Amino acid sequence: MEERKKEIIQTITDHFKDAVSNPYDGNRVDFTIPKQQIPAILFYLKDEMGFNHLSHISCIDWLEDKQFELVYILWSYTDRVKVFVHTRVDREQPVMDNIDMIWRQANTYEREIREMYGIRFAGLEAPEEFLLEDWQGPPPMRRDFDTYAYAMKTFWDRQEARSNAQDVRETIRRRTGEELPDFAKKYSR
Amino acid sequence: MINDKVSQKIVDIIQNFARKHSLWVLAYGTGCGAIEIPPTMTSRYDAERLGVRGAATPRQADVLLITGYLTTKTLKRVIRVYEQMQDPKYVIGFGSCTINGGMYYDSYNTIKALDRYLPVDVYINGCMPRPEAVLEGFAKLQELIQAGKADGARKYKENLDWYRANQKEVIPVWRMPEYNW
Repeated sequence: MEERKKEIIQTITDHFKDAVSNPYDGNRVDFTIPKQQIPAILFYLKDEMGFNHLSHISCIDWLEDKQFELVYILWSYTDRVKVFVHTRVDREQPVMDNIDMIWRQANTYEREIREMYGIRFAGLEAPEEFLLEDWQGPPPMRRDFDTYAYAMKTFWDRQEARSNAQDVRETIRRRTGEELPDFAKKYSR
Repeated sequence: MINDKVSQKIVDIIQNFARKHSLWVLAYGTGCGAIEIPPTMTSRYDAERLGVRGAATPRQADVLLITGYLTTKTLKRVIRVYEQMQDPKYVIGFGSCTINGGMYYDSYNTIKALDRYLPVDVYINGCMPRPEAVLEGFAKLQELIQAGKADGARKYKENLDWYRANQKEVIPVWRMPEYNW
C-alpha cells in the first residue's frame, strides 16, 4: 500500500505542477490544488488511476480567510486507497466548476452545497430548491449566519418552559415522597 | 327525546366509552420518536390492550401522534393531515421537542411549541419517552375522553383564525387547500 501511495503521489505531482501533496497515514492520499484544475485532476484520477467512486464532496467555511474549502473524496476499489482533493474558493464570489458530467451523484452534493453555503456551480442544471422549502434567509450553514438569533426571531419560544425545568426526580418526590438526593437538587430550578 | 338532557348524557357516556377504547393512531412518524412506537405496539408492551393500533390513512385515524421535532417543511404536511382527519380526532405531542423545542431550540428550521399550530390534547415529555410513558400518555388521553375534556378539535375550529395566523407566520408560502369547516 505504501508503495502504491508513493506511486499515486508521484504520478499526480508529475502531471499537475500546482498539486501539493499533504502527508497522511493509513490508506489516505491528500492533495491541495487551485480550483481551475479540479475537473482536470478528477478526470485524470478517474480515467487513468482507477478512482471510480466519488464518496463525497464536502465544504468548509473559512470565515477568517474569506474562503470556502471544497473537498472531493474519491475511492479506488482495486487499490483500496482514498484520495482527498482540497481546493479553496473565494468567499465573496463563490463560483466553482460543475463536475456532474464525471460522476452523476456529484449533482446531489453540489445542489446541497449550493443551498447550504451559497456556492454557485457554473453549468449545474438543477432546480434552485433542494432540501429547504421556501427558504428566504441567507444560506444556513455559513458561519456568519446566526442560527440562534434567527430561530429566536422566526419561531415563537416558550421561555418559561426552559427556566422552570425540573429534574424528573422532583416529580417522583412529589408523587411518592421519596427523598431527593443532594446532587439532584441543583438541577431543579 | 333528542333534547332530553339526561338521555343525552347517557348517550355521551356510552359514546365516550366506545371512543376511548378504539384509538387508532395514524402511522406517520415525524421525528426520531417514531422509533419508540414499534416497541409500544409489539408484544412486550402491546398497546392494543388499550385499543391503540395503527391506521393507514388520515381519514381512518383518531389520534395524530407527533413524535418529535417538526421542521416547517413537515409542519405543512402535518397540518394537511390533521385537517383531513375525521372527528373525533386527538393530537398527542410526544417528546420535549414538541413542548419547548428540546435540543433543537436553536435550529433554523424547526418550530418550538406545537400547541401554537395544532391543538394538543396530551403532551408526553421526555427525550425520548419510553414505551411506559407513551402508554401512560394514552391512558391519560382515555381519561380525558371519558370526561369529555379532549376537545382539541373543537378548539381548533373555534379559534381557526388564531391557528392559521400562527401557521402562516412560519410557512411564508401558503399553498394549502382550504377545507370546509
